[in-house]
Amino acid sequence: MSDAAVRVDGLLKVFDVPEREAGLKAATKSLVRRRTREVRAVDGISFELAPGEIVGFLGPNGAGKTTTLKMLSGLLYVSGGEARVLGHVPSKRERDFLRRIALVMGNRNQLQWDLPALDSFELNRSIYRIPRPDFVALRDELVELLEIGDLVRKPVRQLSLGERMKVEIVGSLLHRPQVLFLDEPTIGLDVTMQKRIREFVALYRQRHEATVMLTSHYMADVEALCERVIVIHHGKILFDGDLAALSDTVAAWKTIAVVLENGAGDLSGYGEVIHRDGDLVTLRVPKAETARVTARLLAEQEVLDLNVEDPPIEDVIELVFAQDAVE
Amino acid sequence: MRAMAMTLKHELIGLSGVVERNIYLTKRYIFWDVAFFVWTVANTLTIVFIAEGIVATGGEIDVEQVTTQLLIGAVVWAYLGIIFAFLMETVAWERWEGTIEYTFMAPLSRAMHLGGTGVFAVIYGLVRASLLFVVVALFFGLSMPDANFAAALVLLVIASVSFFGIGMMTSVLPLISPEKGAQLGFIAQGMLLVVSGVYYPVSVLPQWMQWLSTISPATYALRGIRASILDGAGLAWEDVWPLLVIGAVSIPLGLWVFHRGELYAKRHGKLKRSG
Repeated sequence: MSDAAVRVDGLLKVFDVPEREAGLKAATKSLVRRRTREVRAVDGISFELAPGEIVGFLGPNGAGKTTTLKMLSGLLYVSGGEARVLGHVPSKRERDFLRRIALVMGNRNQLQWDLPALDSFELNRSIYRIPRPDFVALRDELVELLEIGDLVRKPVRQLSLGERMKVEIVGSLLHRPQVLFLDEPTIGLDVTMQKRIREFVALYRQRHEATVMLTSHYMADVEALCERVIVIHHGKILFDGDLAALSDTVAAWKTIAVVLENGAGDLSGYGEVIHRDGDLVTLRVPKAETARVTARLLAEQEVLDLNVEDPPIEDVIELVFAQDAVE
Repeated sequence: MRAMAMTLKHELIGLSGVVERNIYLTKRYIFWDVAFFVWTVANTLTIVFIAEGIVATGGEIDVEQVTTQLLIGAVVWAYLGIIFAFLMETVAWERWEGTIEYTFMAPLSRAMHLGGTGVFAVIYGLVRASLLFVVVALFFGLSMPDANFAAALVLLVIASVSFFGIGMMTSVLPLISPEKGAQLGFIAQGMLLVVSGVYYPVSVLPQWMQWLSTISPATYALRGIRASILDGAGLAWEDVWPLLVIGAVSIPLGLWVFHRGELYAKRHGKLKRSG
């Protein structure tokens, strides 16, 4: 895929982390002889993102997600391998590259804390060389889409977390980036706000044909936005493919939620009972046996309601990490 | 040629954006600035009163002249402090607020980024230093009938180029050490002034310190400004050319040092928020 928007080949980031034992003796010793440990935050990963693609980049804390995004944004230098975004090497800080990307970090802010967001937007206009008519048109469009007309005139410090995230996102998109790195953009937000941000990201991507790489601990974000996911753990990629295929590959079971007319009896003969809530019983059954078990339930029990579902994505991801830990 | 002119124009627009942002931030904390100004006045008074103290303890000096000499030293000290503090905050403050990574990701050359901060620092510093000078001079009733304030001001502006270059070198310290780097900047400011004759003639220093004083821009700024205010002297070439030379060396050197610091920070992951 030579025209990939993002191309990563054997990317490596190694940090030397100082470490010592507890206590005064060890502290004194470390003054003259500092001991460091090599940590491979990102360990030779490779992937490509096609133009306009949106990909979920998943992993537990410390997996290497943010480190990867920072290397792709030029904020961290690579220790090995190669990364290219829109054909550019990120660490070179070429203007054409910087003007076409954006990194939004849910736990950082680009807008000046003490100023109304409008002032910071103006600074971005100067720095990104956005012609005023384009700037005004896009700013007003984004402000209207996220309904933040009354927020952009207040100092950022006076905004709630969700409000701040919305103005941060507007600030990051004013230069119409073609590649968008979103690092947990919905962290700490309530479900309504998470949904708004998700809808907005989807709309922006659709309107501007942007390539999006999204990290999030909220699987609802990933399920709503991404068809493809890359799962990373301990700096290595464990899975790269369709979200649906992830479930098929890792979790060889489905869940059957069943409500019986005469109350929930003993259903352990049909599969593993994993949840019981009043008359509702949830069974875990091997994927290959789902149809047979469902047919048996319908034939042998007085079923009021029955749902067959893939396992929740959270469980699937957890399983991926657990398998990696065992290996 | 036209492309170069357009590039320059865009760079200057970016620089003016940084200046504008600093104006807004200063306006936001203007009353705190007034409070800090009161502290600076008090601090300057403690130094300038030394002249009166010498007389009170039996010393025989020209009080008016020594008072003015001390005042000039204190004002230049305060001015240098402002320039260094602003440049240091370019990194330290942004680290604290968590905006540093975004600033480093913006398509703005480091020269314009730091230059925008430097231009604002010089303007702001000149206003504050002038006010400080006037307030303390009025307090002591200094007359300065022969003073050539225009020459003094022009020399301070020329010296600012060198101060800015050195300031860039110190502003890299919070990049290298997020925890203690900002404090190290004050040490650099102190080292610069101790060899430059801030409250005494350079001739009283040990020889090795006098050699160091020749590469300090503050030496020529203090000497020239004192000559202009005390004796009404105009711009003296022997003060101007060293400042021009130090400025021509310190600006590219400052940018290079900052660039090296940025490389280090990006290699070792030191751009994280520290607040």
